[in-house]
Amino acid sequence: MSAGLHYVVIGAGSAGHGAVTTLRARDPAARITLVTMSRLPFYNRFDLPRYFRGTTDWRNLLAVAPQIYDELAITLRRNSRVDEIDGRARTLTFSHKEVVGYDKLLVCTGGGGHLPEVLVEYKSLMHGFATFEDATRVARALPAKGRVILLGGDMIGLDLARTLIDTGHRVTLVAGEFTFWPHRIDAAKRAELLAALSRAGVDVVTGRTPVAIEAAAKPARRVIFEDDSAIAGDVVMPFFGSMPLVDFMLGAGVDMERGILVDPRLKSSNESIWAAGDVCQIWSDELKEYRFLHGWKNVRLMGELAARNMTGAAEEFDVTADFAIGIDASGHVQSDFWEQ
Amino acid sequence: MTGTDVQFAICGSAGDGTIAAGDILKRTMAAMGYKVIAFDIYPAEIRGFGKCISRVRVSIEQAYSLKRRSDVFLSLNDAHAIPHVGEVRDFGAVVYDDAPIATIPEGAHISAHIRPAQLPYGASFRQISDKVTGNARARNLVALGYLAGLYGMPRDAFHKTIGRKFATKAASVTQVNVRAFDAGYDAGASVFKLDDVVMAPPPVGADGSRAQMMTGNGATVRGLLDADIDCFFGYPITPATSIMERLATDLPKRGGRMLQTEDEISAIAATIGAGYAGARAATATSGPGLALMTEMMGLGVIAEVPSVTIVSQRGGPSTGLPTKTEQSDLNLAVYGGSGDAQRIVLAPTNVEGCYRCAGIAFELAEKFQTPVIVLIDLYLSNRYETVIPPEVKPFAPKAIPDAAGRSSGPFKRFAFTDDGLSPRAIPGQNGGVHTITGLEHNELGRPADQADNHQRMSRKRHDKLLAATRHPGLTVAKRFGRTGKVDVGILGWGSTFGEILEAMYAAEREGISCSAMKVVMLSPLPVHLIEPFFDDCRIVLVPELNHEGQLAHLVSGTLGRPVVRLDRVTGAPMEVDTILAEIRRLALGPAAGNAA
Repeated sequence: MSAGLHYVVIGAGSAGHGAVTTLRARDPAARITLVTMSRLPFYNRFDLPRYFRGTTDWRNLLAVAPQIYDELAITLRRNSRVDEIDGRARTLTFSHKEVVGYDKLLVCTGGGGHLPEVLVEYKSLMHGFATFEDATRVARALPAKGRVILLGGDMIGLDLARTLIDTGHRVTLVAGEFTFWPHRIDAAKRAELLAALSRAGVDVVTGRTPVAIEAAAKPARRVIFEDDSAIAGDVVMPFFGSMPLVDFMLGAGVDMERGILVDPRLKSSNESIWAAGDVCQIWSDELKEYRFLHGWKNVRLMGELAARNMTGAAEEFDVTADFAIGIDASGHVQSDFWEQ
Repeated sequence: MTGTDVQFAICGSAGDGTIAAGDILKRTMAAMGYKVIAFDIYPAEIRGFGKCISRVRVSIEQAYSLKRRSDVFLSLNDAHAIPHVGEVRDFGAVVYDDAPIATIPEGAHISAHIRPAQLPYGASFRQISDKVTGNARARNLVALGYLAGLYGMPRDAFHKTIGRKFATKAASVTQVNVRAFDAGYDAGASVFKLDDVVMAPPPVGADGSRAQMMTGNGATVRGLLDADIDCFFGYPITPATSIMERLATDLPKRGGRMLQTEDEISAIAATIGAGYAGARAATATSGPGLALMTEMMGLGVIAEVPSVTIVSQRGGPSTGLPTKTEQSDLNLAVYGGSGDAQRIVLAPTNVEGCYRCAGIAFELAEKFQTPVIVLIDLYLSNRYETVIPPEVKPFAPKAIPDAAGRSSGPFKRFAFTDDGLSPRAIPGQNGGVHTITGLEHNELGRPADQADNHQRMSRKRHDKLLAATRHPGLTVAKRFGRTGKVDVGILGWGSTFGEILEAMYAAEREGISCSAMKVVMLSPLPVHLIEPFFDDCRIVLVPELNHEGQLAHLVSGTLGRPVVRLDRVTGAPMEVDTILAEIRRLALGPAAGNAA
């Protein structure tokens, strides 16, 4: 399409990977760079629970063979953190002080785990679940039939809970306002879904707010509630939804609220910058608000759509559709969030 | 190859401590009981900040060469390292400094060049060094510590090596370097390891206490010393210079003499003079130096004076590629000089062979009264291997000249005998008075140009050497791999034989019927061993690092048998894959049209 253009995509999850493959298909002559903080090539985060089913070699988790980036002439820059974007000069600066120019930039850095203020000081006593490395650390800390305490219980955490129950572990869910995030549901629905989780084997704790975490001998962790009661488990994992990873965009010259604000074509307020996935808030003419659209499938579709628009298309992302959560015929919680 | 087999490559600029880091790594691994092969590449430029690479292969089973692709690559200087990133295998590790001092342009950082299937590891070596030592000079030790921590190598073993390396300096120097190493170690140990490089401990009972890391040049020096060399005359030339440097230090301690002469001609002249006087004398040079020495070597041949010349080949002709390896001086070593000037030429194939050949060269020179050339090359000169030196010197003591004790009558220094070996005398011996000259001579050594005499003397000087191919205690040629009839035979010499062995064993694992033979004695050629090998092989491949196929010509010309040549002159060792591909091609059917 445009010989010599340099497309840079920050974030190599499903949005970023979908974007670069789409860019290459639509612009064979372009220079394409895919940047990620991960040291691994692209794997789907939703595949991480497979680790507990025996897929412990990261190579078996990869969504595509690493060599595909060579075949597509895409420069994959891993272990690379972007410190800042200069939207006017159209440059980005890595933490290792390398300055790279771009013609068009797509940001799909996703979200990082959100942690309530009261629990921030206990971060080192908890296990995250965003990367392969995280999955490995959880598996190492979790004995056979061990107990995992899920705090919050967003849809990512509940996806993991399904696997952990299947693999013979015990799961305690400390439910709260983030349970079933990002679904917005009423109290009755919530109660119905929690009951389904109980039937599936999850020990559900409600009405108690965790305020502290302690290291213990065995099991290794205790979660303390505001009423001084406590529960014990081998691993404590926070699942309180996600916050867009946009720190490096401060000063880039794009409009932001919690995420990068984009129009339905996923273009930001800067002519050369697009955003896709959990990092962006998309304007909805119907709702007259910027809104996040989460879910594995949405993220992938956004990446591909942004790439098409960066290469001349003018497609709009459907921001009206909301995804559903319910109970399937076998009595298990089912969510469109998990749709791939 | 089973178990640990990991090749580390460290790349930096001169002054970065690249070679020093590699040195500590290989010595530590050897001391732990691993088998180690290592090779350092230095810049050709004397001034400036040229590229240095230290490659260290660590294995439990014996390896024979460096691997084409390293498993772990450490960059101490991205500008130099970037062109080599592709040498790291898939799922291997690329380790680098992720905190350069200043802003750098696009593409100048190594992270831009790491292949998708390689695993990146970034750490702030410079900053860590600055923090724990007060400056960035020890960042090579930080980086080395990072590797050791990442792969769970024992910290104490490195401490000991670092202590030994800086033993002659103030204790604070060791302390600073250990501190830097430990800081790097902690950083590496805390990193989530994602590559599939495994450093399993050496087998129980593996004893590295007697193992020494030696280069080919180092082993050559050790061989010369263990053979009780009396004096050495040399003129510096890459890659042989370190032989002279080591002897300058070590030889006087043993009562010997080392003299740096004004040029190579003087060096060989003094060596022959000392040999004539009964000393065990040697010189060392490279191809250009040997070219200058050939006239004097002719004197040694016709006057039947023992001498030992170590020749480490480099890329040629002329100044050529002084810091690159090549095997293109075979013709010069075997044939160089005027007239029929056959001499003994030995070409060891590994570091231990350098020791053996250098030591036994004196024995051969004295017994056969002739110059002996030990032909090595830069790859072998600078390559490190684990060697366990013998506890007892394995070389014969200096021969006692035959004239000792004689009292009367003319001494026929060049007498015709059944085995062609004449009685030898040194100046000053009673009864050993004789003439010595570069002119053709009679049995007394007096000039004699009669046709029959020249015919007989020429035959004498030629035939007496043939027995050298059956000299006890010397491996002149040896077959490896399958015995009996095979499809493909690979004949090799010098440093390339390591790659040949690796390729042959790889081909054998693929089901190809093959066998390899190394030729250590290039002159006279041990036909009695090589010919049966040809008889057993449907086709014989000769890989060597020269353009003209010099061993191929020598062998096919001597035996009158065809060979297939595989010649490379890239300045680098021949790649195992190159040889393996040729073996596969030959195994598919009759030889193609390139048989020599």
